[in-house]
Amino acid sequence: MSVRVLNPNAEVLNKTAALHMTINAAKGLQDVLKSNLGPKGTIKMLVGGSGDIKLTKDGNTLLKEMQIQNPTAIMIARTAVAQDDISGDGTTSTVIFIGELMKQSERCIDEGMHPRVLVDGFEIAKRATLQFLDNFKTPVVMGDEPDKEILKMVARTTLRTKLYEGLADQLTDIVVNSVLCIRKPEEGIDLFMVEIMHMRHKFDVDTRLVEGLVLDHGSRHPDMKRRAENCHILTCNVSLEYEKSEINAGFFYSNAEQREAMVTAERRSVDERVQKIIDLKKKVCAGNDNNFVIINQKGIDPPSLDLLAREGIIALRRAKRRNMERLVLACGGEAVNSVDDLTPESLGWAGLVYEHVLGEEKYTFVEQVKNPNSCTILIKGPNDHTIAQIKDAVRDGLRSVKNTIEDECVVLGAGAFEVAARQHLLNEVKKTVQGRAQLGVEAFANALLVVPKTLAENAGLDTQDVIISLTSEHDNGNVVGLNLQDGEPIDPQLAGIFDNYSVKRQLINSGPVIASQLLLVDEVIRAGRNMRKPTA
Amino acid sequence: MQPYGIQSMLKEGYRHLSGLDEAVIKNIEACKELSTITRTSLGPNGMNKMVINHLDKLFVTNDAATIVNELEIQHPAAKILVLAAKAQQEEIGDGANLTISFAGELLQNAEELIRMGLHPSEIISGYNKAIVKVVEILEQLVESGSETMDVRSKDEVVSRMRAAVASKQFGQEEILCSLVADACIQVCPKNPTNFNVDNVRVAKLLGGGLHNSCIVRGMVLKSDAVGSIKRMEKAKVAVFAGGVDTTATETKGTVLIHSAEQLENYAKTEEAKVEELIKAVAESGAKVIVSGGSVGEMALHFCERYKIMVLKISSKFELRRFCRTAGAVAHLKLSRPSPDDLGYVDSISVEEIGGVTVTIARNEQGGNSISTVVLRGSTDSILDDLERAVDDGVNTYKAMCRDSRIVPGAAATEIELAQRLKEYANAETGLDKYAITKYAESFEFVPKTLADNAGLNAMEIIASLYTGHGSGNTKLGIDLEEGACKDVSDTKVWDLFATKLFALKYASDAACTVLRVDQIIMAKQAGGPRRDAAQAAGAGAEED
Repeated sequence: MSVRVLNPNAEVLNKTAALHMTINAAKGLQDVLKSNLGPKGTIKMLVGGSGDIKLTKDGNTLLKEMQIQNPTAIMIARTAVAQDDISGDGTTSTVIFIGELMKQSERCIDEGMHPRVLVDGFEIAKRATLQFLDNFKTPVVMGDEPDKEILKMVARTTLRTKLYEGLADQLTDIVVNSVLCIRKPEEGIDLFMVEIMHMRHKFDVDTRLVEGLVLDHGSRHPDMKRRAENCHILTCNVSLEYEKSEINAGFFYSNAEQREAMVTAERRSVDERVQKIIDLKKKVCAGNDNNFVIINQKGIDPPSLDLLAREGIIALRRAKRRNMERLVLACGGEAVNSVDDLTPESLGWAGLVYEHVLGEEKYTFVEQVKNPNSCTILIKGPNDHTIAQIKDAVRDGLRSVKNTIEDECVVLGAGAFEVAARQHLLNEVKKTVQGRAQLGVEAFANALLVVPKTLAENAGLDTQDVIISLTSEHDNGNVVGLNLQDGEPIDPQLAGIFDNYSVKRQLINSGPVIASQLLLVDEVIRAGRNMRKPTA
Repeated sequence: MQPYGIQSMLKEGYRHLSGLDEAVIKNIEACKELSTITRTSLGPNGMNKMVINHLDKLFVTNDAATIVNELEIQHPAAKILVLAAKAQQEEIGDGANLTISFAGELLQNAEELIRMGLHPSEIISGYNKAIVKVVEILEQLVESGSETMDVRSKDEVVSRMRAAVASKQFGQEEILCSLVADACIQVCPKNPTNFNVDNVRVAKLLGGGLHNSCIVRGMVLKSDAVGSIKRMEKAKVAVFAGGVDTTATETKGTVLIHSAEQLENYAKTEEAKVEELIKAVAESGAKVIVSGGSVGEMALHFCERYKIMVLKISSKFELRRFCRTAGAVAHLKLSRPSPDDLGYVDSISVEEIGGVTVTIARNEQGGNSISTVVLRGSTDSILDDLERAVDDGVNTYKAMCRDSRIVPGAAATEIELAQRLKEYANAETGLDKYAITKYAESFEFVPKTLADNAGLNAMEIIASLYTGHGSGNTKLGIDLEEGACKDVSDTKVWDLFATKLFALKYASDAACTVLRVDQIIMAKQAGGPRRDAAQAAGAGAEED
């Protein structure tokens, strides 16, 4: 072998061996992720190096945490991660779809077909499927008032695949409301404007939506109020602490009085800034019992805190930068960068500000705001792994709602699209293709069936029965999906099962590409230092 | 050729367990092991455990939260149970043992069902139905008239607290309960729901016995006064968070001196400055200065001269508590305090108890929000255990301030739940039925364990309990001293509704989570070689 001559340490797999390795890897990865798919999928437990527990059903999380070594598996995993980056969902489907494509190809290749011909077939099938998808999708009008029901159905479909039913249904409302809350006409949706905060407290079903903001720190002064109503909110990015001068300065004094003078002088500029804020507070709170809250991105040192506390002002320091943006959106007003131009107009408003202490952690709630354009999803759960699980699910749920609003259309779920697409490929497209590429189209069509098949398998149903009953319904011209409770065909539209259009599109786009790449590999060469020998 | 399957794709050292036998049953086994450890500690006659943690610190306790905390459980499934217990401990502060033991029992019964051929998802749905029903029944079992209570009435508090404390320190619950109840009632704010556990402090002093324990309305600091004045009555207190010393600039300062004369003068001005400050404090009427930072020699000298007692509290939190005790406002810098900022204590004195010098600040008047339980005992581990019992008691008080409802204790509630749940299961059709029945049976472990731990015949007790409950006496519980069944209204064993509710909910949550997992992917253990080589070998089931 030529490579061996060049480098005697290199490992080479060629022709069929290489192909089999890639196919096996794809199938192996499919096996792992298969049981995750759908609402009836099971949970995986991941144990980290330090013994920390993570429970997940999310394909993306799983792939990230598993630390895969096999080169083929890594390629597939990357596609899945790309899928997540673009659409936020469908990672598991991507992996099993690629696995299935490889499996179908394996059969053809064993029968002596050349991979190149298959790949050509894939390409034709892919284009046809995408076209079909565009005809198949259900358009949704997203005007100023989006149809909440549709959004809810999409969110529910996504969430139910990540969490158990009761919790998923509860989160559906939360997720949809939060996206609608931050949505502004004529602007893209910035999901970062939904703050996701967690508290280790109570049960997972106590998760709720806060119309306002929850900050994960509290005031640092013992005498500040814990609860205040009718609050003016000053969002600022002004340092209220003594800062050392840039140059290396020192004081020279020769008696204690002089030193005292120095001490006051040092603080004067900071005190002046604090005084300006206090003046503003006096101005807006004069004659009423309104309160004043400062949320500062920079620090506030103890002497300044003390001054503010004496005026009855609640001050929070070192807020997150992102929270400053959110605060302005939630409470109104504007973020100020200097105390010189303070006006009452730059203040925001919140009906209620209070602190919640949980063991060592402090949380500050800013609630009852007017016209919020930012909100917080407050996740609660008894332990970290529950919280992490909900967090991942909420992220995906938000993405699915956002996708729907941006796509302005949805696709029927529960495997309906896959079955319909297969029928379309076999009955219409295949006939238009000349020669052996037909087999590629057929393999692609069969691979699509993996989604309903796996759904059925995870629900403990008989896969063959299910596929037959689904296809026969489709042959009769009915678009049906799979009912996971009893294995009978249902109309996904009535059951409210909808998937994202962009998720499906990305899936059909990326799956065949990576599968084709893998099929066209005919030699795997491992060379270089520190080669890891397979653990046989 | 590479090996087929997932194992080949993972990094070296990763382990992958999947399937019913490998993952689910193994997980259940690990949880069972854990619950057998805690189970013997349940109830008043529970056994103590001796745990030596990784720092070689010795614990002798029957508090499940402490035991599982110090065990450093490695097994992922068992860890879920531990997390549930921790959640219970944080939420209520009591009932951790019930959480773990009950979850263990649920899983053990689930294993039987799995061996019978039921799928874990069916068991989960059954268990979920059961817990919904349990909550419903539990609410019916609430003792009528207990919805409202006077949280300042000692009798009512003690009756609710007794069971919780008795399960930790059986035989001493009367003394402890009255101590804890007194301490809690003293600091209970106007709105009882705002009761803060932090306001009841515990000071452990070696020596004496439990009978020497007492309540101090104020604080006990384990330190000496700084100066020579050790006692002060009816004194005003000034608190300075930043320390009592000469002030310094943030920027480095240098004293500019040209001659010897100036040097002398400088020292004098320093002195004069400090004297001026201390004098100002003294003139404001303060007789005690509490400093959060260092106390300078010179400042101390002038304090002595002006007959001011000086205390140093370096912990920021401790200082805040002191402020609450005395009703003082902490100043940052040494300056003349305004009269409003001064606090007041009835007496503050340095005393020696059992060879430890302590400073006791008392404040009998209103405005005081701190009370301290001074515990005495012969060994450190006894004191630690007493402290945990007090903590449980205080937490129970907090829980009852929020929700004062009570349910019968001494296993009466559990048997009633078991009985009604079984009836519910019989009415159910489908596979859930088996899971619900098993869930009901799981409750039997409570009377069984209570009786076992007390050396009674468990089967007899359970049988007679069932008979009693069957004939409509819903409050029949075990009287452990006489070894018979008695109405809990007579024995006065009551549990808080909230404790029981949360414990059962967390337990079934944890059990269902363990059942839901069908694959485990374990990373290689991080860090260097383990201290205990034998432990590393049996990495699958590390419970010891």
